[in-house]
Amino acid sequence: MATTTSTGRSLTLRRVDSVAPDATVRHIDQLDDRTLERFYAALEGGCQLTATGTDLVPGTVVVATDYYRVEAA
Amino acid sequence: MTEYVIIGDGISGSSAAETLREEDPESSITVITDEGEALYNRILIKEHAKGKLPEAPISIHEEDWYAERDIELSLNTHVTGVDTDEKVVHTHEGDEIGYDKLLIATGGTPTQLPVDDSDAEGIHHFWTFQDARKIRESAEAAEKGVIVGAGLLGIDFAAVCGAQGVEGKYLMRGDRWWRYALSGEGAEIMHEGMREVGVEPVFDSGVDRFETDDDGKVVAAIGPDGERYECDFAGVAIGLTFNTEYLGDIDLEQDNGILVDQYMQTNLEDVYAAGDITRFYDVLLGEQAQNGSWGSAKEQGRIAGVNMAADDEAEEFEWVSSYSITHFDFPFLSFGHPTLGDEHAERKYSDTEWRRIAFKDGKVVGGVLIGDLSPQSKLKQLMREQRDVADQKEVLLEETVDLDDLAPPQEQ
Ligand SMILES: Cc1cc2nc3c(=O)[nH]c(=O)nc-3n(C[C@H](O)[C@H](O)[C@H](O)COP(=O)(O)OP(=O)(O)OC[C@H]3O[C@@H](n4cnc5c(N)ncnc54)[C@H](O)[C@@H]3O)c2cc1C
Repeated sequence: MATTTSTGRSLTLRRVDSVAPDATVRHIDQLDDRTLERFYAALEGGCQLTATGTDLVPGTVVVATDYYRVEAA
Repeated sequence: MTEYVIIGDGISGSSAAETLREEDPESSITVITDEGEALYNRILIKEHAKGKLPEAPISIHEEDWYAERDIELSLNTHVTGVDTDEKVVHTHEGDEIGYDKLLIATGGTPTQLPVDDSDAEGIHHFWTFQDARKIRESAEAAEKGVIVGAGLLGIDFAAVCGAQGVEGKYLMRGDRWWRYALSGEGAEIMHEGMREVGVEPVFDSGVDRFETDDDGKVVAAIGPDGERYECDFAGVAIGLTFNTEYLGDIDLEQDNGILVDQYMQTNLEDVYAAGDITRFYDVLLGEQAQNGSWGSAKEQGRIAGVNMAADDEAEEFEWVSSYSITHFDFPFLSFGHPTLGDEHAERKYSDTEWRRIAFKDGKVVGGVLIGDLSPQSKLKQLMREQRDVADQKEVLLEETVDLDDLAPPQEQ
């Protein structure tokens, strides 16, 4: 089901207050189970996550209890 | 060349169209929607209504998307009838569109309160992007709001009031929010979340009628006890009525939703259904069930597309649905079928952390997690594996769930 990125890059999550009109935005319920688990683990543990096996790409804003922009670490 | 017609361009219809094009490149595909815009992100429109998200990122498909895939998109086209003998779809403009295989993906429409003046100006229902634009405008100008409907969609209105600085009263029928899935203890965490954004839950209440001014604008809601709640904004989310009216008296099996098997096939040959509108055979539960969530609708559309193109029972729908609430400081996730179940286990861990697991015939069938969502993937895994674990509730209520602590599954 999930599309996966093949890189082993690290990503970070940065909390943002606003979203640019040209941003790609995803609601947390659009993440597959594995990405969701990594996403929440990253919020708990300093906002770092590995891109491998998730379908998150830099630049995407994820809407959770706050808005988080995915950035390359 | 097979001709596919899809009624509805929500996530289920659109995902079916995309799959059909991949699986059957030579076919003709028509998608019909009565909305004026192509697929958008229905689960983000609440963020627009809250005033937090601009319009552009909510769009998912431009009209080009369909053209590039040689998919015919008919916007602003309401389907008024389906003739399954002649295999023809009728539209409000009198057009007839023939099909070899049909997908019904028309979702639902919010139910109106059956009380006087329930459609007065200032009273909102929430389903489309157009609704979200109106809600945003109305909430921006409002001072006092009333919300009716103590479920997953009602709470979005509470969040809109909170984010737009509207003093809200959330009128609930029973003694708590979403009483079918939460106990008092879990619900109280949600009530606190509402209060923190300026929305006061009012229990054992509801709306008997609305009052309007001379211009027909809502000015108050009157509760069953005669209590008067002043408001210039009201949000009603008491349930969904499935969009099946246009199907008339065709012989389609329905039971508050269209009955489909795990392949998304209805009882009529070459007629499939997907998304919110289905009551599908849930292979994990072993009975018919309903989901009302984005991920499930998308997957049902994909499965329908695969099976329509294969003209066979090529892939079955097996899915654990989930639905989040992101409006408060703490996360909330409901998964599976939290309102079903013959047994439950629950525990509160802190002022903002609570867990409830629903079991049926000894197996996990759903649950609700508030605050700490870390057990979600393990609980979903147990659902998929259909393991008998109801006698090991303690392990599942541990703060950190370790599936290795469960007794090994019994050999069948
Ligand atoms: C405000 C809101 C918040 C939500 N939040 C979440 C969330 O956080 N997480 C989550 O998982 N889910 C959420 N949902 C639920 C989720 O959006 C739905 O489950 C999902 O979008 C259903 O998709 P669908 O394709 O089945 O139906 P729909 O998206 O309803 O699409 C059906 C389409 O068919 C069209 N149609 C109907 N009748 C006809 C006709 N006769 N002719 C032509 N076209 C017709 C409709 O106009 C509509 O465009 C939310 C829903 C709303 C409204």
